[in-house]
Amino acid sequence: MSWPEIVYLQPKITGLTSKFWEGLKNRKLLASKCNDCGERFFPPRGLCPKCLSENIGWVELSGKGRLHSWTEVHYLTPKPYMLGVIDLAEGIGRMVSRIEAKQEELEMDMPMRIDFIDVSDKLTLFIWKPDKLPRP
Amino acid sequence: MTRRVAIVGYGCLKIGKYGADVSENEMAIKAIKLALEDAGISRGDVDGLITTPNYLLTLGLQLSVISEHLRVTPRVAAEISCGGIAGGLALKHAINEIMLGYADVVVCYGSVKESIRFKNIAMIEPGMGLEIYDPTVQPYAVAGVIWAYACSGRRYMYEYGATEEHFAVACVRDRDNARHNNWAAFTTPITVDDVLKSPVMCSPLKLLDCSAARDGAAAIILSSEEKAREITDTPIYVAGVGEHHDSSSFIPTDGCDKSITTFVATREAAQRALRMAKISVDDVDVAELYAPFSPQELMLPEDIGWFKKGEMVRAIMDGSTEIGGKIPINTDGGLLSRGHPAMVTPLYETISIVRQLRGEAGKVQVDGAGIGLVHCEGGMLNNCMVFIFKRGD
Repeated sequence: MSWPEIVYLQPKITGLTSKFWEGLKNRKLLASKCNDCGERFFPPRGLCPKCLSENIGWVELSGKGRLHSWTEVHYLTPKPYMLGVIDLAEGIGRMVSRIEAKQEELEMDMPMRIDFIDVSDKLTLFIWKPDKLPRP
Repeated sequence: MTRRVAIVGYGCLKIGKYGADVSENEMAIKAIKLALEDAGISRGDVDGLITTPNYLLTLGLQLSVISEHLRVTPRVAAEISCGGIAGGLALKHAINEIMLGYADVVVCYGSVKESIRFKNIAMIEPGMGLEIYDPTVQPYAVAGVIWAYACSGRRYMYEYGATEEHFAVACVRDRDNARHNNWAAFTTPITVDDVLKSPVMCSPLKLLDCSAARDGAAAIILSSEEKAREITDTPIYVAGVGEHHDSSSFIPTDGCDKSITTFVATREAAQRALRMAKISVDDVDVAELYAPFSPQELMLPEDIGWFKKGEMVRAIMDGSTEIGGKIPINTDGGLLSRGHPAMVTPLYETISIVRQLRGEAGKVQVDGAGIGLVHCEGGMLNNCMVFIFKRGD
């Protein structure tokens, strides 16, 4: 999808975590996995938070989660938008993300799923929305 | 403790917006002058000078300018930074240096013009200060830090049945207290309705639910017990210090198990300080809590231990945290109404408690206040400090 009026800021992407952002371009939500101790973790980091190894690989996540909380941002934005905290279904971490929904459609702990937005030729971002499809 | 440490003097400027005509250095000197006068000591007695970051990009060397201007030659000098607890850490460093015998009389000060950099402790421009967040948080974290506290507030409403009215009552309590504080920035009376009708910042938080970045300068003089007895008849002793940093930054993202409505750093810091002071939380007579947004006015008294989780929903309505109640909180107006020069706020909080324990608090005096508590925080309560102060015998 495209969303030309979307308010976003350029994240600071480093070489060690650039795979995560490449994953978004390919419509994949990637988490880091330590090749030495096996720890899966999110947010992506260049060093394993469990064993500090730099031998980090990547695994694809389901892109499902639950809404832990949200706010409608009115400040420093030309147009209000929803910002939420998502508990990833795998239980390994949380994402802070723009939410595509109206405030009245949201409920605490409701199922959510990820979607992707190409904000420029070089950057694809994530966006989460209520998961209304029956769960498999 | 090897040596007991006491607060023997304080001075501060009214919080507000200072123009270009006065520098942060000059504001610092004015606050220190007031503190020296309050303590009744001369500059020659000062052998420590400790401060918090002042944004002047002077590489931590503002202290050198101040020491030359004051013509003092401290044996102990440091500029200390760690988010909103910087002022608390400056106090702790002063306490430690005195306890260890490196200094006898230390001036702890902070001076900032934050109103020119921040607005409502959100950044003035989208993206300012973005590097405080993980890169995955950066794309949408446009509005400074308000969004995080707003998500915390929304979750608290869900978990404990609080409403925006409950948060607004905390704002009104703080404003009512600030009216009697000579250095508060916001003293115009407000009602619950005013809070509810103020412009939305990040729902459920409106403008009046948010503290405002303002300019301020404050100084506190600490000394060894021996010196304190020479300097003053009303020393305020440091009875306990607790500090805790949770393994998180703003919204905890490493795992899904951490709460955003109860803060382990506040709980742990409070328990450590109370243990060190050998008192129970119910022995505390008056408290200053670092709540930059109104929902945290409800969460913090629960985390410190005066109430069980969720009980503040009732307690904010029944006067439990007002003067005359179970535990009077923010009798100077708190961050919400005193104004929030973040790098100085913990010093203003401490001054409020010193005034209470000396019996100088005027219309907001808590009768017979003998033990006071100061809480400060950094991040979104990821790191916290709690101090217990006691009136001298």
